[in-house]
Amino acid sequence: MTAEADRAQKTLIDELLEEQQQMTVVERFARRHGRGGVPAQARYYRDLVPVSRPADGQQYGFAVDLDACTGCKACVSACHSMNGLEDEETWRGVGLLSDGAGVETAPYLQSITTACHHCVEPACLEGCPVMAYDKDPETGIVRHLDDQCIGCQYCVLKCPYDVPKYSAKKGIVRKCDMCSSRLAVGEAPACVQACPTEAIRIELIDKLEVSRAASAVGARLIPGAFASKYTKPATVYRSLRGVPASARPGDISHLQVEPAHWPLAAMLLLTQMGAGIFAMLAFIGLCRSRDFVAIKEVMSLAGFAAISTGLAASVLHLGRPLGAWRFFLGLKTSWMSREILAFGVFAGAAGLSTAANCAQRFGSLLPLHISEGLLVLSTAMTALIGMAGIACSGMIYIDTRRSFWTARLTFPRFFGTTALLGAMAGAVLAAWHGASARLDLLLITVAIVFRLALSIWEIASFKGALANAGDPNHRSSLIAWKLMRIWVFAQHECSAVSVLLAIAALSLVMRGESSEAAGVLMTGSFLACAAAQVIERLFYFTTVVAPRMPGGIA
Amino acid sequence: MSARKQVEEKRTDAPKHPVQAAAEAAIRRWSGPLTDDLVLHPGEFGLGNVPVRLKPDDTTTTVCGFCSTGCGLNVHLKDGRAINLSADTHYPVNLGMACPKGWESLTPLAAPDRATTPLLRNEATGAMEPIDWEYALFLFCERFKEIQRLHGAESVAWLGTGQITSEELAFLGALGKFGMGLVHGDGNTRQCMSTAVVAYKEAFGFDAPPYSYQDFEQSDVVVLIGSNLCVAHPILWQRLMRNRNRPEIVVIDPRKTETAMAATQHYAIQPKSDLTLLYGLANIIIASGCVKRDFIQAHTTGFSEFSNFVLPFTTERVCECTGLTSIEVWRLAQCIADGKAVSFWWTMGVNQGHEATRTAQAIINLALMTGNIGRPGTGANSITGQCNAMGSRLFSNTTNLLGGHDFLKPEHREKIAGILRMKDERIPRQNSWAYDQIVRGIANGKIKGLWIVATNSSHSWIHQKAFNEILSKLDFLVVQDMYHTTETAGRADLLLPAAGWGEKEGTFINSERRIGLVKRVSRSPGQALSDFNIFKLVAQYWGCGELFSRWSSPESVFQILKECTRGQPCDITGIADYQSIDALGGVQWPWPENGEAAPEQERRLFADGRFFHPDGKARFIFEEPRPPEESVDAEYPFMLLTGRGSSSQWHTQTRTGKSDVLRKLYPRVVHVEINPADAGRLQIAQGDMVSIASRRGEMTAMAFVTGTLQEGQVFLPMHYAAVNQLTFPSFDPYSRQPSYKSCAVKLRKLE
Repeated sequence: MTAEADRAQKTLIDELLEEQQQMTVVERFARRHGRGGVPAQARYYRDLVPVSRPADGQQYGFAVDLDACTGCKACVSACHSMNGLEDEETWRGVGLLSDGAGVETAPYLQSITTACHHCVEPACLEGCPVMAYDKDPETGIVRHLDDQCIGCQYCVLKCPYDVPKYSAKKGIVRKCDMCSSRLAVGEAPACVQACPTEAIRIELIDKLEVSRAASAVGARLIPGAFASKYTKPATVYRSLRGVPASARPGDISHLQVEPAHWPLAAMLLLTQMGAGIFAMLAFIGLCRSRDFVAIKEVMSLAGFAAISTGLAASVLHLGRPLGAWRFFLGLKTSWMSREILAFGVFAGAAGLSTAANCAQRFGSLLPLHISEGLLVLSTAMTALIGMAGIACSGMIYIDTRRSFWTARLTFPRFFGTTALLGAMAGAVLAAWHGASARLDLLLITVAIVFRLALSIWEIASFKGALANAGDPNHRSSLIAWKLMRIWVFAQHECSAVSVLLAIAALSLVMRGESSEAAGVLMTGSFLACAAAQVIERLFYFTTVVAPRMPGGIA
Repeated sequence: MSARKQVEEKRTDAPKHPVQAAAEAAIRRWSGPLTDDLVLHPGEFGLGNVPVRLKPDDTTTTVCGFCSTGCGLNVHLKDGRAINLSADTHYPVNLGMACPKGWESLTPLAAPDRATTPLLRNEATGAMEPIDWEYALFLFCERFKEIQRLHGAESVAWLGTGQITSEELAFLGALGKFGMGLVHGDGNTRQCMSTAVVAYKEAFGFDAPPYSYQDFEQSDVVVLIGSNLCVAHPILWQRLMRNRNRPEIVVIDPRKTETAMAATQHYAIQPKSDLTLLYGLANIIIASGCVKRDFIQAHTTGFSEFSNFVLPFTTERVCECTGLTSIEVWRLAQCIADGKAVSFWWTMGVNQGHEATRTAQAIINLALMTGNIGRPGTGANSITGQCNAMGSRLFSNTTNLLGGHDFLKPEHREKIAGILRMKDERIPRQNSWAYDQIVRGIANGKIKGLWIVATNSSHSWIHQKAFNEILSKLDFLVVQDMYHTTETAGRADLLLPAAGWGEKEGTFINSERRIGLVKRVSRSPGQALSDFNIFKLVAQYWGCGELFSRWSSPESVFQILKECTRGQPCDITGIADYQSIDALGGVQWPWPENGEAAPEQERRLFADGRFFHPDGKARFIFEEPRPPEESVDAEYPFMLLTGRGSSSQWHTQTRTGKSDVLRKLYPRVVHVEINPADAGRLQIAQGDMVSIASRRGEMTAMAFVTGTLQEGQVFLPMHYAAVNQLTFPSFDPYSRQPSYKSCAVKLRKLE
């Protein structure tokens, strides 16, 4: 068929559908810009970036003129487009400060544009276990090395400004690098280029000056921002109008549930249980050698299994676990690195001491004889290393300076759980294993005491925070109470069930009845107790208030 | 790769122990596939650094398709298709800047809910089912013709838009009225600027916003009335910020908006008290002798009647009505009187009112009597809403005959018929019904078939519940849209899939009368067709294709439209073609054929003091203020104000709701702003869920407690469908524009 005949066959619909798909813009409209050359936008941003590179003691910093920022949010979009970010990814945000909603305060509205503050003492960098952050010695830009990142997201927890953003798809965190490669060739960062009112510029900041100012009591970038003394952020917010101290973030009443981080919760609970089991075994060994001999195999096997499973679970948390071997890079500053080291040693020690405790079984194969004293000692040493690991775990969270994760709230949880699950697991194993009634009695009693103590402490601190609006953890308690109330009840119901079952088991043991029935009851008690601790850990992660810059209306 | 090289350099710079450095090099990965994903590289074409994977092989410019600012965008092309865009550095409107909507222009084109094939409602199941274009067009003609046969030609009407190109609007209007024999057609522009149209027509003799954006930069007093410029037109705020005269920026608005915050003076008047305020200001200025007698004498009529009329608008009366103090009123009057170049700007706070036309004219009166018109930095300036509202004003063939002509004038009908090479009997000798009259026509059974093009009436029309009930009375509803998910599309019998901005060619006219070019830089999905091509098909299937044989392409229609403007105030016969619009950075009307090669880039009207009335004089027009039809009472004690929520939201959100980035930039849930005193009385705390009810409907929103609102008032952003269930259907009698900005509501805290 000739082309002409073909055309004759085509209906107008066909023709128009075809025409609709033709891309003729290049042919029809000659390009207006030559190739290469100075960026056209330079005429607008030339005065918004420093002429000289930072001198000694200086670094680059964002300087925001709040009086000029009216909330158009072009900076966010431009950053997104000019850096080619993922669809939902933004490195800059625009929040809102408004009047304190008091009848007396003057009406106030102020948009707050914010990105990475390229802190003088970056918490992200300090927390990173694999040195995936670099603070450029010359420019002070805090850069994230995407290929170094293992996706542990600890920087997300460490940064008090919610800057690093994790992408589950990519398995890594990414963040603003102040368009360092633009700055390197004299171009302005995307946000600076795109602000219609020149509200954002790059300035040379005196690091010492920033540190000094940030260290003052109560110093913060703007109302609602985290205390600057933590990371010493290099951004400057200026306003001739002044920002009223009563100004409040637009999202102040917003209760946000943070990610549950299940692998981390599992890792914490299992390593704590493992360490608890070893501690309990060592305790038994120190008290009664006969019971120790009877139960050492099964308890150390259980402890080792818990630890191994916990560490395996932690790997699931990582976006790119293959790079995790580099963890030692962060030992100098990162509690995450230290935890990995401590738990690595702990797992090794637990393995060895488990092997030693089970060695008798293979006595015919292994000619060596290990004395009981040595076994108790190795078990105790393992438990101690475990405690060190748990302390590191605690420090990971304490070091984020979040008010729900202070030492006062974290250590009782972590070590309390260690003791509780250690005793519980020990009691279950003792009951099933048919150890002495005395041991059963001891372990069940200890478990009940720990369970009660921990629950009472939990309830007391939760209620205190909920009742007192001035309590630093009031919001955390509100998140739990308003958004996850059934879990609050579930947690304490599980604890109660656990205690009741344990008491029943105790009475069986005291009456000298079958150890098996006690075993069943204690297993139930243990499961209920474990469930309560799972919920406790769920709250630990989800109800923490993550500090961030003021957000928009939410 | 520059970034990597830079890192290499930095690494050698850093003073580190060699062993440590070597170890680090081995175990710290400074590059790799994840790093490369973000590496920037010179983009050429004057772009500076761009992400490597978004490096264009060409660029072209186009005009943004959201608001009437009409920003230039620089589209980055690869193989002739858009892969990214940035603000156009050179365009005289936006000078290298864009708002978030502009930056995100390409994103909504890729939304998964694009209509990709004509859809027909299955009457049995109620579901929309795909059909081919052939059948869709057959049905379109068959059903509408059948309705016309039974109920008369007038029983089919259309509702158009300010979002499609002038060429498309003209095609729709000409096809509807001259081809299909329809009489009634209107557009969603009725909702945004018909007030300005009527105000200008009556005062100046033609719908002629007189300014250029440069006036923002040249004023020493800028008066913004009912305009939240910072949020609604951020790029115009940018132009104002370029003003080096340290201008007084005066905001007249019931709310302390972002713009009011940034202004030097804010007058928080009571809602709908603006007309009284403006008359009171005129009274003070006249009484103080600060008027420009020479200008008034030479270039206006009606001043003495006007000065008599405003005499009763005493300061006391103004204070009582507006809630301002007499000191405030006098300070404002003095500021206007003392200004050497005073520009007045208004937007929807004025246009959407029950006495909007007179309010706009009261602003015009102030400008006329103080001689603040025709000079740099002056003007009574309406800032329009949609990207092509101004094109609709001239070329939609609804209220005006093509090119700003009058259906009622035989010589105009003859002229247009001649240009279109058709008999002038084809041109209706009556005016169209306005939007609300068409709706009423449906309600009382006079209109049986409706064709809605590129607007989301089921969301945006005032008193929405009633409107949607009325829609169900139609025998046949055709919706032509980019998306099959709009509230209106959900009620259609037949959906025609349209290509969007960026997928077609044509021109828009912005607020300052600048004709800008939009280009096809992206492929439309499936069988979606440009509105232009849909009209072409309808013409052929309707049987009037012959009439439009010269309407082969948007550019050929542009040439026809040019002819339609010859001799009119909006004469654009001097523009050669699309290429010249592109090369000149847009051209403001008028630009008549006069042999000059290129117009000045920024021009204003009335420098010679000659207006468009036959006597060349502007009119003072005024009328006694009236109270709004619905005011607060004991049962509904709060006045509900509505307006733009944020710069990242556009109207009914059919497009802005499709961008992840834009969605992040506005609140996730609809919020209602409440004054702290009211909130305290109702025990509403920030973040509480609140029910807002009017006599017409009820909705739920999250409370945002703020003193930016006065007591007794609440504010809701207009972008959420439920808001228009509350609004009260009152209309300006001259412009027929709905009054969205005030109705009575009550609040209740939800547990």
